[in-house]
Amino acid sequence: MAKGGSNRSRLLLVLLLVSSLFLITLDLRGVNIATGLRNTTQSVLSPVEGFFSKLFSPVGNFFGDIRNLGSTRNKINNLTAENEKLLADAAVNADVAGQLEQLKGVLDLAGRGNYKVVAARVINRGANTTFKQTITIDAGSTSGITPNMTVISDAGLVGVVKSVTSGSAVVLLMSDPTFKIGVRIAGTQAIGVVSGQGGDSYLLQLLDTTGEIKKGDVLIARGSEGNRPFVPGVPVGIVNTVQSNASSITQNADVDGITELQRIGVVAVVVSAPNEQPRDSLFPKPQPVITVLVTPTPTPSPTR
Amino acid sequence: MSQLRVATTTVFLLLMLFVQETIINRINFPWHSFSLFLAAILVLLAYEDRTGALVFGFLGGLVMDLSPGSATPFGQWALALTFIGYLFAVNRESIGDFTDRPIAFIAFISMSSALAMATFLFLGLFLGQANGGFLHNLGIIAANSVWTFFITPIFLPLLIRFRKFSLSSRDLL
Repeated sequence: MAKGGSNRSRLLLVLLLVSSLFLITLDLRGVNIATGLRNTTQSVLSPVEGFFSKLFSPVGNFFGDIRNLGSTRNKINNLTAENEKLLADAAVNADVAGQLEQLKGVLDLAGRGNYKVVAARVINRGANTTFKQTITIDAGSTSGITPNMTVISDAGLVGVVKSVTSGSAVVLLMSDPTFKIGVRIAGTQAIGVVSGQGGDSYLLQLLDTTGEIKKGDVLIARGSEGNRPFVPGVPVGIVNTVQSNASSITQNADVDGITELQRIGVVAVVVSAPNEQPRDSLFPKPQPVITVLVTPTPTPSPTR
Repeated sequence: MSQLRVATTTVFLLLMLFVQETIINRINFPWHSFSLFLAAILVLLAYEDRTGALVFGFLGGLVMDLSPGSATPFGQWALALTFIGYLFAVNRESIGDFTDRPIAFIAFISMSSALAMATFLFLGLFLGQANGGFLHNLGIIAANSVWTFFITPIFLPLLIRFRKFSLSSRDLL
């Protein structure tokens, strides 16, 4: 390449790098150019996303379902039975029925916590290329949704509203590595912080040095000041493994999320919370154990 | 490089973003996900000359930054893809060896997508972002490379056809 051309390319490279750094600096300093552009893109895309959401709803999990082919026979039998039930539901309209079920669950949870909620459908998921975990829902500012509102599913916490347009909102999922929420162990006063790890598991760091964590402990959101971004009482996760590290000042544990974030179709945004804390009223109810008592009757002796 | 080419390529990249956001993101892949947009921009960069690789890298990054679900600073992808465009520009002759062999070319695009994502991740670290565990991010990058290797061949003829169109679109005026 000629020397002049090479110099031009270098100048262009420097110009483009400086432009990129300038844009990043503007964004990090809170200039709203980026937010405006992204919101415009979201406003344009959300009606189309809604359409494709309906179109892809029956086949979106196709690849994920193929992965389960290697499961154990027992699981296959259970799935076969479940599949038969699902096929029966499909005759009615499995997709709509499933969403209705989730919606009923969400409203039930919101009702128990006296939360005022706006129900919404998940219409898109954020691309993995940004290493951020987000979803897009089909309700926005016209439905009363503003940033930093808690989003729940039928099981518990989903995430927090990050940005809003008139007809849609982007929700930062609790699995995102930047996500942190203050929790307490249900039934005790031990408090801690749950952090997203980017995957299906979460990390609990107990702040209370005297507190104890056990496998199976349910974690409940402590809530934030003014109920933003977190309303109190929402189930967050269940302790899976307690990490034993003698040198650590605080106790840590691996936590399973209470909501299966990959499968959610319907969520609710908490637009207002009650004045009184729901305490443990949203604690997942344990399955009832049926106990059968059998008293052996002595065999009657033959009488003459 | 004509302004018309820049305009048609920008429109094409916006269309790719539209397809990525509305269709590809809806599919639950068994292992993380696939970025058609990243594959498309890398294919275009591989065929470009020195100036084109830089300009389209920057433009592609800006369009990618428009993704509504991203919670990263606006301009981060522009910076990452400008850097990738620069690498493509200085290695033009070497890349030319791949473009005539389809499988080698797809493997090159697949590796480049991993490099682009790793660059983006490193820039995020410099900007103080928390991006999750190392193994998790490695999984995301590896999965995207694998999907790029298997899915991009489906779209490759379309991308090459678009490039030919953008080169000859001056005749349409």
